[in-house]
Amino acid sequence: MNETGENEAKPDRGDGAQPSRRVVLALGAAAASTVVTIRPALAQTAGSVLNCQIPVPAPQAGGSYIAADGSLVAPGTPGAFAPAPRPLTGEEVKALLNGGRTPAGLDSQSAQAYANYIRRLQAGMSGFTCYASLQMPR
Amino acid sequence: MAGPTYIADDLQHVRLVELDGLTALFHRPSGMTHILAPPAPQILAALSEPGDAGELAVRMAEAFEVEGGEEALTARLAELEAAGLIRRT
Repeated sequence: MNETGENEAKPDRGDGAQPSRRVVLALGAAAASTVVTIRPALAQTAGSVLNCQIPVPAPQAGGSYIAADGSLVAPGTPGAFAPAPRPLTGEEVKALLNGGRTPAGLDSQSAQAYANYIRRLQAGMSGFTCYASLQMPR
Repeated sequence: MAGPTYIADDLQHVRLVELDGLTALFHRPSGMTHILAPPAPQILAALSEPGDAGELAVRMAEAFEVEGGEEALTARLAELEAAGLIRRT
C-alpha cells in the first residue's frame, strides 16, 4: 500500500540531516492500542443512548446469518435469518429486549434471533457500547 | 485498494479535550468517554468524510509524515470501529 506514504515517510532519525516541517505521525504496531474506553458506572445519558445503533451482525461478520439462538452461522443456513436490513436503534433494541416488540420492517422470528444475538454481544464488538449503555441504570 | 468505507461520527456528537499529547473524547450518543492516543484523533479528523483505508492514507499523508503501513492502519480502523467512533458506510 504505497499510498500510505510509507515509502516517502522516512522515520526521523533525529540527526537533523533531513529537516522537515511536517509532523511525523506513527501508526503504531498492529497489536498496539490507541483507544481506551471508560464506561461510567452510572450513565447520565437518558434518551441519548436510545439513538445509538447496533448492527446485526457486526460489520466484521457481514453476510453471516443469525441462528434463532443468536449465534452466527454461514449464509443460507436453513432455519437461520438473514442479517438485519439496517442497524437497530437503541430505542428499538430496548423495546425488543424488554417486551419483545418487533422493530418496524422486521418479522417477529428474525427479531427474536437478533435479540439473542445482541444479548451475546461482548466488549469490542460493534454495537456493544450501545447495548451496554442500554443496560445501565437510570 | 478496495475495502470498506468508513466515516467518523459527526463532530457535533463528540466533545474533544486535548490532554498533553492525549485526547479525551466524550461520545454523546453513547455517553462513553474514550482516551485516544495518536494517530486515533488524526484518523477521526481525516474520516469526517467517508473513505476507505487507501483514501484515508492519502489524506493523512497530505498533513503528516506517516510512519507505518496498511497493517497498522487497518488495526487502527478496527480499533476505532470497535469503540463505536467510526462506522462503515
